[in-house]
Amino acid sequence: MTSDRGSVLMICALFLAAVACRGHTFDKKVAQLLREEPENIKCFAERMRDLTCFWEEGESRNSSLHQYTFTYTYQYRNENSSACEVFEMPMLAARGRRLFYSRLPRIEFFAQLHLCVFRGGRELYNRSLFIDQVFLLDPPANVTVVKTGQRGQLNVTWLPPALKYMDDSMMYEVRYAMEGNPMRKETVKATTKLTLRGLQSSSKYKVFVRVKPDGITYNGYWSAWSDPAFGTTPPSDLDPVIVVLVLVIILIFFLLILFVLVYHRKSLLKKLWPDIPSPEHKFPGLFSVYKGDFQEWLGHSNSSTRPIHAFTEELPSPLEVLSETSLAAPLPNHLSPPRPATTPRATGLLREDSDTTEQGEEPLQSRDMDAGLLDRWKEPPHTHWLMEQLRALQKHPQALSQSSLLESQDTYVTLNQNSQHAKEEGRQEDDILEESLPLQALFASGDTSLSAASHSDLGSLQQSSGSGRLSSQSSFEYPNHTWPPKGPGYTYMAVADSGVSMDYSPMSSSMGKGVVYANEYILGHRRPLSGQQVHS
Amino acid sequence: MPSVSGLVNVVLMVLMWMGGCQASPLRAVCDPRVLERFIREARDTEAAMRSCGGSCAVTSVYTVPLTNVDFTDWEQKDIEGQVAEVQVGLSLLVQALVAVRKTVSVSPISSLLDSNIINIQSLIHIIHSLSSQAQPLTYLEQSAQTHTHSPSELLHAQTNFLRGKVKLLLSAACRTLGS
Repeated sequence: MTSDRGSVLMICALFLAAVACRGHTFDKKVAQLLREEPENIKCFAERMRDLTCFWEEGESRNSSLHQYTFTYTYQYRNENSSACEVFEMPMLAARGRRLFYSRLPRIEFFAQLHLCVFRGGRELYNRSLFIDQVFLLDPPANVTVVKTGQRGQLNVTWLPPALKYMDDSMMYEVRYAMEGNPMRKETVKATTKLTLRGLQSSSKYKVFVRVKPDGITYNGYWSAWSDPAFGTTPPSDLDPVIVVLVLVIILIFFLLILFVLVYHRKSLLKKLWPDIPSPEHKFPGLFSVYKGDFQEWLGHSNSSTRPIHAFTEELPSPLEVLSETSLAAPLPNHLSPPRPATTPRATGLLREDSDTTEQGEEPLQSRDMDAGLLDRWKEPPHTHWLMEQLRALQKHPQALSQSSLLESQDTYVTLNQNSQHAKEEGRQEDDILEESLPLQALFASGDTSLSAASHSDLGSLQQSSGSGRLSSQSSFEYPNHTWPPKGPGYTYMAVADSGVSMDYSPMSSSMGKGVVYANEYILGHRRPLSGQQVHS
Repeated sequence: MPSVSGLVNVVLMVLMWMGGCQASPLRAVCDPRVLERFIREARDTEAAMRSCGGSCAVTSVYTVPLTNVDFTDWEQKDIEGQVAEVQVGLSLLVQALVAVRKTVSVSPISSLLDSNIINIQSLIHIIHSLSSQAQPLTYLEQSAQTHTHSPSELLHAQTNFLRGKVKLLLSAACRTLGS
C-alpha cells in the first residue's frame, strides 16, 4: 500500500514536471476554464492519456500546500480512491487568489470518475465526471488559406488534433473576415478543409480555426483560436462567355433600332421634321410655270382654274350695291352696297364676271367656298359694263372713298333675299339710299357672325348665313366697331373664307344698273378686304 | 426515430442473411451515422428514464458490462479479445434491456427500449461476423461485468458501452476494412 502510494505520487510528480515545461499553452487553457467552467474542480483532458484538474482558493486562506489532498476513484471499481499530489500555480497571485492543480497519471474513458479535494482532512470540493466529456484540445495547427481559382473563394485547410480514435469525432469552427469587417463563422464536422464562398474580390482575409469534440462519442470545450492565417481573393475578371453574350445582345439591339429607323424613316421624318405647308397646290402652275409671278399667273390663268378674279394690291376697288331692279334676271344673291376704297394692301379674288355671265347661271364656287351656302350666282347681262366700271374704278380710286368707316379695310356685301321679292320700284330709292349709307350702317353685328374668315389657310371655308345681322370681319381688326343693324328686311348671307367671300345685298332698282360686288377675303383677318365694284 | 432505426436494423439483417462476404453487414455499420444513431437513441432512453423517476420500471438487479476503456490496455488486447469482450457485453445488455422492458408500461419509454433492444441485437450480429472463432454467447469474462440496481444505471451503462468499446472495435474493424 505504501509502495503503491509512493509510485502514484512519483508518477504525479513526473507529469507535473511535464506540465511545467508546457508553460504557456497550459496557462491559457487554465485561464479559459476559469472563465467557462462553473464547477470548482475544473478538469480537462488534453490528450488520451491524462486529465488535469484544478481549483482556486481565496488569498485569505493561509493554508499550506500540503494541507490539500486530491483523490479520485472510478465508480465501477469498488475500491478505495487514489490520491494525487497537489501543486500550486502562481498565475492568480496578482488577483489575490491561489490556484491548485493535480493531474491523473492514468485515465479511463467511458467510466464515471469521482474526484475529491480535501484540506486538512476535510472535504473541500467533489465532482463526478466522464473524462471523455471534458476534452480541451490544442487549437488546429498549420492553418492554410489558398485561392481556389474561382472568383470570391478561398480554400482553408488545417491539421486535426493528433488523437487516436478521435479523428472522426471532431467538429471545427472557422472564423474569417476582411480587415475592419465583422467576423463570419462557419462550422464543419469530420473534415479538415473548408471552401469560403461569397468573398469580395481582391481582398485580404484573416482566418482562424478552433476544434471541439462533436458530442456524440466525445465531448468537451472549444479550443482556443488558432494563429491567424491570411489569404487574398483573386481579382474579379469578366467571364469571356459573358462578355461575348453581352456584346451580341448589344449588337442585336443596335440592329433592331437601325431596322426600325430605316423602315419608318418617312413617318419619323414627318414627325420630327414636318414639312412647312405650302400653298402651292392652291395655285396650280404659279411656281412651276410662272416662277412665282403672281400677276402673270393671274393674267394667264383661265376661269377653270381660277373661279374668281384676283385683285391687284395697288388698286383698291370700290363696291356698290346693285339695285335689284336694275338686273334683268332676278338673282338669288346680290352684291353688297357700295363700299369705300380698300387699302392698297387689300387683295381679293373676285369672281370673273365675264365668264360667269356668259355661262349664265354658274354656281359661285371656288375651291374655298362652300356651295351649300351660296346660291347660284347668275351672271347679270351687263357684264361688259361691269368690267368697264371696274376698270374705271381702278383708275380713279378716289371715287371709291365713300365712307370713312370703311377704313376698316373690310368690305362686306350684304345679301338681301327679301328684297328680291320686294317690289323694286317702291324700294329702289330706299335701297339706294340705304345702300349709299356707310357700310357700317348696313352691317350689323348680330346673331350671325362671320367666322373663320381669318383663316389663313386657303382651303378652309367658314360660312355663316341667316337672316339678320352680319358681323363684320373687320371686328377682328377693329373690335370696337359696332355695326348698326340693317333692318329686319335684310337677309345677310356672308361667305367668308380665306380666298373668297361673297356677300350679296339686294339690288337697287333705282341705280338702273345693278352693281354686283364681290368681296373676297384672302389669308384671314389680317388681310384687309377689297371689293370691286361690278356693275351689271 | 424508432422507425428509421428499425429500418436500419432490417437492412443489416437482410444483408447478413444474404450471406456472402462477412464484411457486408460491417460495411453498413461503418457509416458513422449508424452507430451515432444507436448512441443517440440510448441517450434518449436514458434521459426519458431519468425524467420518469423510479416509477416507470421495477427496480431489480441487472448484470451489465463494464464500460471503462484504458487505451493502453485496450491496445494491448488482440482483436479476438476485443471482439469477445464486446460480444459478452452486448449480450448482457440485451438481456437486461429485455428484463426492464417487461416491467415498463409507459409508451415513450417502452418504444425507446424496443429500439435499443433492436440496435443491440443488430450489433451482436455484426460483431459476431468479425470473429473468426465461434464464441459462445454465454461466455462471460468476470472482470468485464458488474451489477446495477436501477434501470437508469442500466441505460447509462448501455450508452457508455456503445460509445466506448463498441465504437472502438468497429472503428478499428472499419479502418481495416477500408484499407
